[in-house]
Amino acid sequence: MTRTLIITGAGGVGKTTVAAALGVRAARSGLRTLVVTVDPARRLATALGVEDLGNEPQPHAAEPNLWAAMLDSTASWRAVAMRHADPDVATRLADNDFFKAASEHFPASQAYAAADQAATFVQAMAWDLVIVDTPPSGGGIDFFAAPAQMADLVGGRLLRWLTGGPLPGRRTFYNLAAKPVLRIADSVLGSDLLERVAEFLLDLRTTYDGVAQRGREIERVLGSASIFVVTTSDPAPVREAIKFYRDLPGLAASPAAVVFNRILPEKWADSTAPPGTSLALEQNLARWSAETVRQRDTREEFSSRYGARIATIPWSTSPPTDLDGLGRLLDESKELPWAEVGIS
Amino acid sequence: MLEKRLVLVSGKGGVGKSAVSAGLALLAQRRGLRVLAMEMGSPGGLSAHFGTGPLEFEPRELRPGLHAMQMVRSDALLEYLALQLNIKGLNRFGPLARAFDALATTAPGIREIITVGKAIWEVREDRWDIVIADAPPTGQIASFLRAPVTISELVPSGRIRVQAEIMQEILRDQTVTGLILVTLPEELPATETAESITWLAKENVVAAPIVMANRILDQLADPETPPGPVGEAAQLHRALWSEQQVWLDRLPPDHLLPYLHGLLTPGEVAARMADEFELIT
Repeated sequence: MTRTLIITGAGGVGKTTVAAALGVRAARSGLRTLVVTVDPARRLATALGVEDLGNEPQPHAAEPNLWAAMLDSTASWRAVAMRHADPDVATRLADNDFFKAASEHFPASQAYAAADQAATFVQAMAWDLVIVDTPPSGGGIDFFAAPAQMADLVGGRLLRWLTGGPLPGRRTFYNLAAKPVLRIADSVLGSDLLERVAEFLLDLRTTYDGVAQRGREIERVLGSASIFVVTTSDPAPVREAIKFYRDLPGLAASPAAVVFNRILPEKWADSTAPPGTSLALEQNLARWSAETVRQRDTREEFSSRYGARIATIPWSTSPPTDLDGLGRLLDESKELPWAEVGIS
Repeated sequence: MLEKRLVLVSGKGGVGKSAVSAGLALLAQRRGLRVLAMEMGSPGGLSAHFGTGPLEFEPRELRPGLHAMQMVRSDALLEYLALQLNIKGLNRFGPLARAFDALATTAPGIREIITVGKAIWEVREDRWDIVIADAPPTGQIASFLRAPVTISELVPSGRIRVQAEIMQEILRDQTVTGLILVTLPEELPATETAESITWLAKENVVAAPIVMANRILDQLADPETPPGPVGEAAQLHRALWSEQQVWLDRLPPDHLLPYLHGLLTPGEVAARMADEFELIT
């Protein structure tokens, strides 16, 4: 059986580094492990050996059980919809302004494409563990909501609203503007904007069965995955992490752990400078000590309010640049639920 | 910045956009301006700094002269249709509102133009001296700022197109509209900021942004590293400072905002930010 571990959280908190570090640990504990990452910083791409690779998983040259794949961050649901469209419809869609624009702007687009690709790897059953690093835009909670949002868009809910009734055939919707309410809309928007939107939605509707079925498969994979939420102690990423406890139920399992990154040594919280310390160094300790207290309070509040399992990673000023560095990154994170993902 | 009528504050997620917006709003209020602070992106950031609980679409006076509101797309859409496009008798659940909502979800630029349009509408209203928007992050700001142009390209005529052209003028007028990009002296935020600046220069949808680098450490005056926490904290500080300088050199930002160590209540953060802006402006 392939286990899935999804690493999520706000952007810029170190998700990709944590995903890579977990991958190295898992591989070294004997699990055949695939790390799926999106747009990694150069040093991580180098460490994982995915610098020049497409989105096909590649075995790592120096680490026997480790594979890595880099998702194409420009891939969108455009490709997904095209896959489920008849040739005629696909041609019309390709020429449609709205389809082009919507595939760039639909918020769940990147999240959907990433979830789709990740699910494909899990379904291949070629690995013991697939670790998925979620994309920067549409990461967080959107990643889990993407399949449903996609089915909603394609499923014609919007089209039914637009026409105010059952789904029309191609011929009837050309008379949209004959409906009194929509005539007003037409005068506001000018020309045939509504019809062009309707035409696009109607074409998209024909891909519904394929897209919806694939969406359910993706949801099954996401729903049975373990989740680690990565955050720092700052308010914005913590708010994002809280969403996984408040808004996630129904979409996926509750997170197995919240990993606080960039943590200062706990002993600084109660440290004061010994006599004879210069004023500059004394003040410096005092402010970092205050920061340590703030970090600790943030974690304690999170754990008591949401019953979350908290793990920490020390604040390192030299981020890991190679496999051994990645392997050591989580040495002090003993609170991580290793067994949950099968890492011994 | 306080001489503008509309200030948009953007930046990569988690860099302190909301803190900067709240601080700027507070300073404007201290100076006696009638201020509207608008939570335009994800809810919760700005309101946390004022300690007022969730904001609503209807502006609420938080302290004398300072109002705050949260962008709610469906409310903004109805208001837009009723006031700007002059369509009477709209019902939130009626077929016309739903049709527009469908359009707003599907057609590019509509969703964004409703949000940007609301801010611009408030600027033209004369109820406020200044509107300060905690705007969407840099990853999305392009589609928001470009929305009026997108609409003009997509819609050949009609009232919405006329509105879009007025919006473009207001956004481009640097005596009216200002953009602040908040960033951190770290690889990913600094890179994203540089990319945004390039994009903005190319698209010419708004005047050149002011870049503010947040969480800046000062240089430690003492080079010693005694044993124990004193030395450890000094080492960490120096390492972070050196890394910070690399990114500051590459940016370089217009203003520096200090790292606020250990502040617990968000209210303190906004007040400290306002003190900092007092020194700048």
